[in-house]
Amino acid sequence: MPYFEDIELGDEVGPLVIEASDEGVLAFCRVWGNDAPSRFTDAEIAKNDRFPGPILPGIMSMALMARLFTNWAGPESLKDLDLVFRQPVPHNSPLSISATITDTRQEDGENILECDVLMTGPEGQRYVGGKALVTLPSKP
Amino acid sequence: MALELEYDRSLYGVEHKAGPFPVTLDVIKSFTMGTGETNPIFTDEDAAKAAGYSSLVAPPTLCTIFVRQVKLPDVKLKFGKSGMHAGQKVQALAPIVVGDEITASSHLKDVYAKTGRSGTMVFVVWETTFSNQNGQVVAEVQESFARRE
Repeated sequence: MPYFEDIELGDEVGPLVIEASDEGVLAFCRVWGNDAPSRFTDAEIAKNDRFPGPILPGIMSMALMARLFTNWAGPESLKDLDLVFRQPVPHNSPLSISATITDTRQEDGENILECDVLMTGPEGQRYVGGKALVTLPSKP
Repeated sequence: MALELEYDRSLYGVEHKAGPFPVTLDVIKSFTMGTGETNPIFTDEDAAKAAGYSSLVAPPTLCTIFVRQVKLPDVKLKFGKSGMHAGQKVQALAPIVVGDEITASSHLKDVYAKTGRSGTMVFVVWETTFSNQNGQVVAEVQESFARRE
């Protein structure tokens, strides 16, 4: 796990490259009680809604982007994640998630990193962007 | 000149409550399976206990799945036709573990217009506070839905 003192402004986190499979999206939809066919799981419904194919729910994109920080800095490191859904996110396509450190500060006894975070596609599509606040421990 | 928006302003200050939502092993496992999560604190109960937690820990955005189970009223916005999920913000304030019972309380936070190159969009923002069985606030979630003219 990284320490706060090792971080510089402009440092990059990631990328975490993942793909959301049809089965993964269906499992995710089931857990929030949305297992009826929808633009998230059904190609025809997605096309009728003017999407090229089934897309990820926004809350699933958010869960994937949170993984970047919890993998890097631990399960309780992510304090705040604020995202804008810019473009529909497709299934079965590589998604690259990365962040850039834009500020470091100590606040109320916590070491805080502010980050810009972005999910992009294989051709540079900017699917989801936003900001995150992450805490890191100090060196012992 | 600012756009005069027509919608149900009586919704301000009204809380819409839902739950309790039990956080079971199955809920966390389904969530982590869907997102391909590999962190053992979220996927392996023994690893979570070894790290000092009472059971499996929920990933920090778990509460977003409960937001959709709050029955929110129609804001009766008279603008645009099709809507989309424009953005979401999660503040993780305390760990959620298996065995917790989470309640939700949602209210209309804001309705506002933004005009850019592609025209005007109107955003409807709902804010939900999640608390556990001890009354501790564990997360706050804001969801924005946008309509185009």
